Amino acid sequence: MGWIAGGLCADVPPGTVIPVCIGGVDLAVWCSQTGVYSAWADRCPHRGMRLSHGFVRGETLSCIYHGWQYDQSGSCIYIPAHPQLTPPRTICATSYPCASRDGAIWISLAASDESPPETGGREPVRSLPFAGSAERVARFVDADLDALAVLGGEADLAVAIQPVSDTACMVHAFAANGYDPKSVSVQLESMRGEFEELAA
Amino acid sequence: MSGSPENHWYCVAMLSGLAEARKTLLLGKEITVGSGADGAWAKSADGSLMPVIERFGHLWACPGEPKKDLFSIPEADGEGRRLVDVGSVRVRCSPLRAVENFLDVAHFPFVHTDILGTESNAEVDRYKVEVREETDEVWATKVKFHQPQAAMSATGGIITEYMYRVPEPTCAVLYKTCPPRPGEWDVITLFVQPLTEEWCEVWPWMALYDDDSTLSEMVSFQQLIFMQDRSILENQIPKKLPLDPGLEVPTQADLTSVAYRRWLKKTGYSYGAQLVAA
Repeated sequence: MGWIAGGLCADVPPGTVIPVCIGGVDLAVWCSQTGVYSAWADRCPHRGMRLSHGFVRGETLSCIYHGWQYDQSGSCIYIPAHPQLTPPRTICATSYPCASRDGAIWISLAASDESPPETGGREPVRSLPFAGSAERVARFVDADLDALAVLGGEADLAVAIQPVSDTACMVHAFAANGYDPKSVSVQLESMRGEFEELAA
Repeated sequence: MSGSPENHWYCVAMLSGLAEARKTLLLGKEITVGSGADGAWAKSADGSLMPVIERFGHLWACPGEPKKDLFSIPEADGEGRRLVDVGSVRVRCSPLRAVENFLDVAHFPFVHTDILGTESNAEVDRYKVEVREETDEVWATKVKFHQPQAAMSATGGIITEYMYRVPEPTCAVLYKTCPPRPGEWDVITLFVQPLTEEWCEVWPWMALYDDDSTLSEMVSFQQLIFMQDRSILENQIPKKLPLDPGLEVPTQADLTSVAYRRWLKKTGYSYGAQLVAA
């Protein structure tokens, strides 16, 4: 797997954190106040609490259990129970390459020299869960499981498929500038309906 | 103490809740609890009676052979205390994670915000932790923490002093400054019934000096606190409590947790524990 779309920026505005699962790997994806996105293993190194339950302040994410605060690199910079202590650099969350581009949040589970894919000038539309593996959805839309599969049509639709599990994936849709949101939504939902009917 | 989980005592019911026999789980196996003319009883799936004790308002059962008597809490016998059966909360977590969370004060400002702690007073001073050899119990003493509303009977913020005691791997007793009676300790316990290694039923029980609050107010207060804890306990990874160092990073505020984990490991009690770092 290279770059995977983990969500749309509009769904993770500055100051928020959400859980994202990519191919069975649980992540906490958060956006700082200045709009910088990060993707970390969803586990605080202190007591294993999910960081996606935490809270964003400024350019930091804190764990909800004991308030341990992490900077964008994933290093713990403040432990409220010990305000005088400078936490050792060894305390850090596991972070993955993450970048926002053209309104989508791109994540790679391995180090990557390449840039996240372009959306060809398309705008992000919405994300839809599909009850089937990413491979099956890719076969259904007759696309490779590349970062972006072009479906075409009136709105020049393209989708990025995010593997979640053997029985679930997320489809992130992009459409040409000035698309009609309603007709794109109808197109996507009828596509999902056909897929799930076929799979059933 | 024996490491075999079958030979320990476990809380399995409130005595006041045994009018009708019911099935439950203990260490992953079905048991039935009920009461008759001779008192409360617990039966394993094959119908055989298990050793039981009625104490602290609850029924205790041992699926194997008990190696010692169930612990006592002499402080709870004081005259004028109100004994409060809180009920139970089922939590999808390791029974040991539930006990460890109960031993922790550093989470108060973030999980029980503006009730048991505030973010502006989150510091945890050094306290004392020991394993008392004569009773084989973990004790933490001189634990002091600033609390905005330590109990139903508290009016305004106070420095609360705590003592924690772990007399059984799945039980913890908290002794805490008693707002209306300085010099006495309120007693709040956590009896954890291991349904499975990753699912437990938590039976809190209290022996308090509080003449003003209604029973329903006191129960609601504890239920609120445990609901807040549940949102944490069901979201820790891994679900089992890691006993080997390396997977999780403790600090000085976690000395009770460190002692508890070491004690479990030394004892060989591993039901609900993860022994090899994942």
